Amino acid sequence: MSERILAVNTPLIVVALLVCLPAAAQDRTASKAAAPSAVKASAAKKWLTPWGDPDLQGSWSNTAWTPLERPAKYKGRELMTPQERAEEEKRRVQQERVAFYDPSWSDGRTSLIYDPPDGLKPPLTPEAQRRQIGWNESLRSEPPGPINGPEDLNLRTRCIIRDPLPRIPANYVNNYEIVQGPGFVSIFQESTHETRVIPLDGRPHLDPRVRQWFGDSRGHWEGDTLVVDVTNFNNRTRFEGSTENMHLVERWKRVADDRIDYRFTVSDPATWTKPWSAAIAWNKSGPVYEYACHEDNIDMYAILSVARAADRKAGEAAKKSK
Amino acid sequence: MDHMGKPLKILNGAIAVAATMAFSSLLTDPGLAQTLSSAYKAPRLPGTANPNLNGLWEAVNEANWDIQVHGAQAGPPQFGALLAQPPGPGIVEGNEIPYQPWALAKKKENFENRLVRVKYDELRLLPLDPEAKCYLPGIPRATYMPLPFQITQGNKKIIIAYEFANASRIVPLEKVGPAPVDSYMGWSEGHWEGDTLVIDVTGFNDKTWFDRAGNFHSDALHVVERYTPTSPGVLRYEATIEDSKVFTRPWKMSFPLYRRLDKDAQFMEFNCVPFSEELIYGHLRKTTSK
Repeated sequence: MSERILAVNTPLIVVALLVCLPAAAQDRTASKAAAPSAVKASAAKKWLTPWGDPDLQGSWSNTAWTPLERPAKYKGRELMTPQERAEEEKRRVQQERVAFYDPSWSDGRTSLIYDPPDGLKPPLTPEAQRRQIGWNESLRSEPPGPINGPEDLNLRTRCIIRDPLPRIPANYVNNYEIVQGPGFVSIFQESTHETRVIPLDGRPHLDPRVRQWFGDSRGHWEGDTLVVDVTNFNNRTRFEGSTENMHLVERWKRVADDRIDYRFTVSDPATWTKPWSAAIAWNKSGPVYEYACHEDNIDMYAILSVARAADRKAGEAAKKSK
Repeated sequence: MDHMGKPLKILNGAIAVAATMAFSSLLTDPGLAQTLSSAYKAPRLPGTANPNLNGLWEAVNEANWDIQVHGAQAGPPQFGALLAQPPGPGIVEGNEIPYQPWALAKKKENFENRLVRVKYDELRLLPLDPEAKCYLPGIPRATYMPLPFQITQGNKKIIIAYEFANASRIVPLEKVGPAPVDSYMGWSEGHWEGDTLVIDVTGFNDKTWFDRAGNFHSDALHVVERYTPTSPGVLRYEATIEDSKVFTRPWKMSFPLYRRLDKDAQFMEFNCVPFSEELIYGHLRKTTSK
């Protein structure tokens, strides 16, 4: 794969301790390897950490009202007209019952997906169509059948994970904190307090026997863009119905003091006939807080208790009728 | 150690004396003294005057079982030696936790219930080490869980990501004002004193324990941590604990943190929420009997 990171024979501890030295030939941080003239030539403002990496640090939110896929009424059009946009925003404010509207939540596009150009996910493969998916616990839906135990509820309700990667905005808690150190980018996800620790030293991915809820991330710089390659997903996150072999490539590029351009490309030959890509703005946001989802998860008690009470009632009714 | 006979106690004493003598000679070893002292000058985080603490760190001790000195103890019998408590020298300076009288009784109650699953009400859980439920472990406990944590140190903020339960906290290196709300991992504010990272943590709730032995605190907990590099692979960690509702005075814990140097060491996921569901919700599972 063209995006596969080449293993660089640089021990991590060397990278961590020698970053203050001038850029070594094998150093993968592209900004340090760039010649001074290349930096001057760019008219764009540079955001740089003290050790010379592009600076993505800060508190960010990817809240967006743009849907993932293009609604039929906008077929063939990437952008809404100003009037359509105003109407859409008015409708959403009423629907979401928000106290205020933040213009950063909509950039006028008709879909987050930009490739394929029709703004829709590519067709499913014959295998995916045949595959008995049944109820997908990674979706935000409730199960069709009886709730006999916690395994009958979705991952979100159980606070196992709230949303898989790549992150598409949910209705709330779309907040992230990026902190960088030499050789690492760490992304704290407010929902639910996980940190993605992304090494930048070109080491190979985890052994394929290890599968993780948020996969395994490896990052490198391409100019000002952080490119992160993610593999090793487990077979339960099933982003948009995909399998554990989904391959995710993400890109973050700071384009303003208060905005990062984030894009992702996902591919899974077992699921989609071709890869597809989406872009979501990350906008500057307030501080990120602790989301203790699983701790004293009252929802689980309520749902399971109600189900057991209903069972008892049904049992008593059955006894009475005998 | 009451169960040991007199001969064993004498032998135990002799071994202790021999070990102390051997350890004392180690302390005069210049290499070890260097490791434990603060004369070491770590490489800087580029562009700052501060030492670079980036990396994967882990405590090597038995404090998560019991932060005070303790001997071995049996665990649940069906797990044999697997969940038996290992002995440890403790991390509490002076080995005394200055509980108020009511709190000492509460600690003992926690200790009795730590491994026993008690009958549940519908919406209330009775005392059980919150670690078993995969609850966020709080500070300082997250530091001495038997799993590594990653320090990502930037120039303005630090993220400490703990493998246990994917617990994380953000430590701004600037004043942040009071905690807006109570939390499990607290509200952190960091600054440097020379080469020591000082983190002031407030805004705790009362739902975490210090260890599996039932040592606990209230929501008045205030922790001041100090991380000092003493060699390329070691940080000296100190934490001062204050809680006017539970303790009669502040007290301190300290221990080394070691850099994970394994060739393939990296931060990995320990999402224990699925592992804890049977424990927490099992009593609400449908039974087949009528």
